[in-house]
Amino acid sequence: MSTPAAPAANTPISTGMPPQRIARMRRATFFSFVGLGTIVGTWLMYVYLSERGMRWSEWGLLAVFMPLYYQLNVGFWTALFGLWLMNRPGHDALDLWRTLKPEDHEEEITASTAIIMPVFNEDVTRVFEGLRSIYLSLEQTGHSKNFDFFILSDSNQTSQWIEEETAWLELCRQLNAFGRIFYRKRRKPINRKSGNVSDFCRRWGKRYRYMLVLDADSLMSGGLITSMTRIMEKNTGIGILQTFPKQIGAETLLGRVMQFAQALYGPPFMAGLDYWQCGEANFWGHNAIIRLEPFIKFCALPALPGKEPFGGHILSHDFVEAALMRKAGWAVRLLPTNRGSYEEGPPTLVDMLKRDRRWCQGNMQHFWLVFAKGWHPMSRVNFIHGILSYASSLLWFFFLLFTTFLAATPVPQLDPQAIQAQQILLGLTATLIFLPKTATLLDEVFTGRLFKPLKMRLLTFMSSMADTVVFTLMAPVLMIFHSQFVVYTVLGKGVRWVTQRRKAEGVDWAEVFFTFWVVSLIAIIWAVLGWFVSHAFLLWISPILIALLLAIPMAIVVSGKRSGYRFGFFLTTEETEPPSVLATMNDNLAEIKGRIHLPPELEKHHGLMQVCLDPYVNGLHVSLLRRRKSIDVSRSYLNEIAQRMIQLGPQSLNAQEIKAMIHDTETVTDLHYRLWSARDHELAPFWATAIRQYNLAASSPFTHTLAQRELA
Amino acid sequence: MLLWRQSDKIIAGDLTFYFPKVDSRAISTEFENRASMEAVNIQFAPETGTEEEWNEAYARLADYFRSYQLHNRIRRTQLILETLRRAAAAHKLDAKRTPTAHSIEQARNMLNEWLGAIYSDMNLNESQLEAGGRLGFHLSGGPARWPNFFLDKENLPQDMIEAMRNAVRASGPGMQVSKMTPREIDLGRVSGVAEDTFDTLGRHPILRYSILIGIIGAVLSYLYLLFR
Repeated sequence: MSTPAAPAANTPISTGMPPQRIARMRRATFFSFVGLGTIVGTWLMYVYLSERGMRWSEWGLLAVFMPLYYQLNVGFWTALFGLWLMNRPGHDALDLWRTLKPEDHEEEITASTAIIMPVFNEDVTRVFEGLRSIYLSLEQTGHSKNFDFFILSDSNQTSQWIEEETAWLELCRQLNAFGRIFYRKRRKPINRKSGNVSDFCRRWGKRYRYMLVLDADSLMSGGLITSMTRIMEKNTGIGILQTFPKQIGAETLLGRVMQFAQALYGPPFMAGLDYWQCGEANFWGHNAIIRLEPFIKFCALPALPGKEPFGGHILSHDFVEAALMRKAGWAVRLLPTNRGSYEEGPPTLVDMLKRDRRWCQGNMQHFWLVFAKGWHPMSRVNFIHGILSYASSLLWFFFLLFTTFLAATPVPQLDPQAIQAQQILLGLTATLIFLPKTATLLDEVFTGRLFKPLKMRLLTFMSSMADTVVFTLMAPVLMIFHSQFVVYTVLGKGVRWVTQRRKAEGVDWAEVFFTFWVVSLIAIIWAVLGWFVSHAFLLWISPILIALLLAIPMAIVVSGKRSGYRFGFFLTTEETEPPSVLATMNDNLAEIKGRIHLPPELEKHHGLMQVCLDPYVNGLHVSLLRRRKSIDVSRSYLNEIAQRMIQLGPQSLNAQEIKAMIHDTETVTDLHYRLWSARDHELAPFWATAIRQYNLAASSPFTHTLAQRELA
Repeated sequence: MLLWRQSDKIIAGDLTFYFPKVDSRAISTEFENRASMEAVNIQFAPETGTEEEWNEAYARLADYFRSYQLHNRIRRTQLILETLRRAAAAHKLDAKRTPTAHSIEQARNMLNEWLGAIYSDMNLNESQLEAGGRLGFHLSGGPARWPNFFLDKENLPQDMIEAMRNAVRASGPGMQVSKMTPREIDLGRVSGVAEDTFDTLGRHPILRYSILIGIIGAVLSYLYLLFR
């Protein structure tokens, strides 16, 4: 257990906050380009549309075109500024890495840091093996003394909960990390993830100066973690330091394409963002380090007015926390990183859409905050960009609808100025879409930032061409769904808090069909409409309609495991040369994957079976349960459900009944003895089988979810 | 006193117990040195219960003690026999309960007595003693290091006691509670108007869907006018 250390001495509080002069200059430059691009585009569109005066549908088209073009310009100029920063000979004046001198890396870290990982029904093996890799990587730096780890569980599935407990104990035992790795389970998961983190802050926040937040699928190297802590120590004006988490571990085509695209195009975007966001960057909820004192003081989240989904508990808490931190006077900085910070992405298109639905609702909620008083103007811009990232899909949809209307009521275009404006706008838009990608690709081909061998650079080039096809087919489908999500949110249809699926479990054809058939139907209707409107229009809109029409086969193909890996497509450096933190985790996951499993029925309720049958797991669970003076339900009710479970098996109880039972120390202890005391014919077949097979499953009850890696 | 024989079966009373043949070389030195184990005499002749019931109790105890990760079969058998002996006595007094139930209860009693001796001055309540004690045995590496001393309250090696006591762990660090209170955010006038609107829409789903249907209707009407 680390102890809180004295604050870093003699460091002015403004350190780490970019000078206003530089920040203003950068934003003036950046937004001038963005503004100019948007104005030119809008003006060209106006010239093209207004040849015979403006009709209402043309005004409508122009109104949706403007924010879309603004968004396109923001992306374009961010990437271009980023590329310029990456290639210019001099150093960036605001580069945080330069605040560390070589000798700083040898100095002992005195600041106490809590590394927290909030989890909610996640894959226990992945969570704890990830944590083990981070822990070992941190140990290797030789500066891990003042770092503690916390697994903050909100899991509401009993088996998951028990498996987390056993995995925690076994990990601590294997690493000899008792007093360094802690496990906490909340009885009531109030306010979801942000509530989970707040609960940690309230209970233990005072013990630590920093808190490094991880997601359940995060992975960070010890080297980067210690560097981030040192940067925070040197720059006491920074409240939140966010890294760029690169995607890893993808197995499906979609996952690998996203992973590749992020590795290739991500760095210039990150550099560009850092250029204009300066001290008002965003927090993305994980793979970031936070100064706890101001976070506790200023970043508690109030509920939004109204009910969910638009109001109520703030879902996308990270943006708001960043804004609150900045409002309190601390900088929120982005740390451009190429290695050491990782996360996993959704494996299939359906999973990606489920995640987007949550994110969409979260971002749409920020509508309330855009007009709130006291924000830094850049925080408002961040909120608007967040909203636009989903609302733009609806705008694009409207844009296409207006275009269809206009195509249906054509006016002859004779004015050469209007025709020229149309051609210039087309060229300009194509440039805005494809130039960042082309420039990034050329940068890679010439500099070999990702891969040095020429063959690999050429493969990267070809992969980039291939990912264009995938993204072109996906974009219209995403547009339809994101538009639907926005409308649903406005109509008050909220989303449930569900666990994100992070690993592919094969393509569920039925799920794909029932998710995407409407999209294909829209394409057919639109195509028929287009045929009657104008053949030329149909030709113009056909790339979008073809993508919509092919939504089902496309979703199946991208969700499959034929991802081009065999042919060297979409390779990333993490795949070809995995960093040690990733290699350790992959080795351990491979060991577990190769094990013999119990019958499916026993696997399904494995945690529950363990807590009932195993004397050590039962002891662990009872030891971790908080003693309560009174229980929420009657003792006779608990006895009745316990009896039912013994006689009829766990499938006879609903989740609430199992939860009530497993939360009570007395019932859990009694259940253990009652099960072992019952004769075979008094037991449900599940328990009779479990008792016979339990001892054959593993050499130790605690190794079911964890690799066997004893410290030397 | 238990009688231990190196054979593949023990016949006691009306019960026959089978267990695997044991290689005497595999027996640990520690085990060999224990005087109490040199001669084991079986006194097991239950006066109540059927053979089938006691065989079932035996099988259950075998599984139960195996769940403690006691891989030494000889020790396991010793424990089973001792537990059965106690269970037989208890069954004589209360024949309504099955030999299996009595056996597990006796195993529990033996465990609690044993843990009570180890954690005698640690001020643990019954539940903490039982749960924490079991866990302490696992965490101290007890099943592998001291399998022959499991449930043997007469022979408690000092290193085992210390290891088990040290292994009783807390689940989290000491709390240092701080306040994290949300501060009101003044959402401004625009948000106020929007809030009222959404509140109204939220309270009247019919109005909400009427607006949506109105928009869709307008679009369809426009299309109709366009193509008629």
